[in-house]
Amino acid sequence: MTKKDCVRFAPMIGAREGELSEVEARALAAHLAMCRRCQELAARFARTDGLVAEALLARANARDFAPFVDQVMDRIGTGAPQGARSGRGLLGWVGRHWKGTLSVTAPALAALAVFMYVHFGGPGQVASLEISSQGVSTVLQTSDGPVVLLPPEEHPS
Amino acid sequence: MEADDLALVERARAGERDAFRALVVRFQRKVYAVALGIVKDPDLAWDVAQETFVRVHRGLGDFKGDSAFSTWLFRIATHLSIDAVRRERSARKEDVDEVRESDLEDGGEGILATPLGTDPRQNALRRELGEKIEEALATLPEKHRTILVLRELEGLSYEELAERLGIHKGTVMSRLFHARKKMQAALREYAGIRGDADRDGEDET
Repeated sequence: MTKKDCVRFAPMIGAREGELSEVEARALAAHLAMCRRCQELAARFARTDGLVAEALLARANARDFAPFVDQVMDRIGTGAPQGARSGRGLLGWVGRHWKGTLSVTAPALAALAVFMYVHFGGPGQVASLEISSQGVSTVLQTSDGPVVLLPPEEHPS
Repeated sequence: MEADDLALVERARAGERDAFRALVVRFQRKVYAVALGIVKDPDLAWDVAQETFVRVHRGLGDFKGDSAFSTWLFRIATHLSIDAVRRERSARKEDVDEVRESDLEDGGEGILATPLGTDPRQNALRRELGEKIEEALATLPEKHRTILVLRELEGLSYEELAERLGIHKGTVMSRLFHARKKMQAALREYAGIRGDADRDGEDET
């Protein structure tokens, strides 16, 4: 038995049942049976085991916690937790990111609307179609007059 | 009968404030104790404990229930506590994790040689001991405080400690060893006080 054995086994002292492999547990037991120094170390560790928890919980129990929960609830506010209102999955995600979703899909939806209007609108509804850009807006020239397509950020919410 | 944690979580997730309030009341002291053990400062521990519950509420929608609610709660508390310590501390030399022969030298012998009883004198000793333990804990480096608190207060296994702290099981074992040795050394002065007290007690009988 050498000091190197002690260096190897000392960190294993204090392990709970099942935390060491069978081989480790057997080797530790064999070492402890022969090593007085490690026996003393194990005894000292055992004497202080659990005292940290006891001291900290005693300190927590001695403190007045009356305002704690109210302070937490004030910080939380009246809102439900995130994810509670809009559910999960794609719809939940869209609900939580509606601005981004709108900005991405609005141009495509506008184009689709124009396509539907042009192709399926009744006779006389569209005499000609001219699309021009004026700044960030797109203007449709229809037989009923100009129709301005608003950019996504100007859509009423 | 008290609702179990998961039932309260489900109700809190649905927006029932009373359910979340019940969860806070149920765990507030232990969360505070964990934070206090790691950050040392009572006011900072109070803030960390509150922030923990705010974060938990914010994340309830993402809580999958794969682990116990308390595991999730204390994981958040641990990380917030460590973050708080790291924000506050100045750069200083970190202790190594490996165990050397010099680490096996004796330290703190004689402390707590007898278990504390329940009579008034021993109760006074117990209170004094609590204060000394806290003082001793405060002298440990953050990583040693943290692992000792999680091991003793939360009762985490080596595997759970490894997962929680992102270190290997071998590192967990050696870090715990160092933490215990440092606690023994930090309590050495108190051991002398206890030794005198015990000798006085023996003289009286």
